[in-house]
Amino acid sequence: MSLNADIAESTKFTEERLAGYIIGATQEVFTTMIMMDPKDEFPMREPVSRFKCSITGMVGFAGTYSGVISIHCPVSLAMKITSNMLGMECDEVNDDLNDAIGEIANMLGGSVKQVLSKGGLDVKLSIPTVISGEDYTVNSLSDSDCVVIPFIAEGQKFLVGLTLKKDD
Amino acid sequence: MANILIVDDSSTMRKIISRSLRQAGLTVDEIFEAGDGIEGLGVIASGKSIQLILSDINMPNMDGLEFVKAVRANGNSTPIVMITTEGGEEIIAEAMSSGASDSIKKPFTPDQLQEKLGGLL
Repeated sequence: MSLNADIAESTKFTEERLAGYIIGATQEVFTTMIMMDPKDEFPMREPVSRFKCSITGMVGFAGTYSGVISIHCPVSLAMKITSNMLGMECDEVNDDLNDAIGEIANMLGGSVKQVLSKGGLDVKLSIPTVISGEDYTVNSLSDSDCVVIPFIAEGQKFLVGLTLKKDD
Repeated sequence: MANILIVDDSSTMRKIISRSLRQAGLTVDEIFEAGDGIEGLGVIASGKSIQLILSDINMPNMDGLEFVKAVRANGNSTPIVMITTEGGEEIIAEAMSSGASDSIKKPFTPDQLQEKLGGLL
């Protein structure tokens, strides 16, 4: 899974730069708000659309640039993330867990927006969307134009992906 | 001791802000919560004594910019600090020109809250 050459040319962002922004934003959110220090791995070569026992948080953006930033993680890791964020035990999929993962997506969206937007008014962020389940798929209409970075935290893998397009 | 109103559509973020205010050693008495600007205006209209308002920008129903404008349009001069993922200069400038007192970017640490809010409490 890599950034399409035409998209990279139109956005003026290379895959390496976008990967760097995603890694930096994710590590900032996790170290500051979740008290975890995730380690990034090489960007994925193949798309991941099917998830098992996982939760996905997504924030869309529209304007000069449009796209989606998403975080996908196993429910067991999401419970630890939520517990750390709230300072109280979370051991089930509930509103707290959904809200926490949505808020992480929101903070990641804010960081990406800061990179993409000149002053903040030309790119609008959506309200977060959260999906969870034992077996589900997430498909993008522009899957080939994504950058997806795997991270390891607490011995478990999670993914942060960015789909990006520059609007004419 | 100050009463604080937190306006944010994320219940997680409201809890984190509440905890961070206490961790930062700020003199907080009662904390009121609202899930969007409309709820925030409702809390203010209920007549509760509030010395500081912390508001997100990107919220459903009524966003933080509309909320700030509505509070000021009602003649309320309570300090409002935007706590938001929105770090762009233009959007922060719009918030400030609408009547916000300051802004804090998410993610934040308790120390950053203390630094920004210490002088307001």
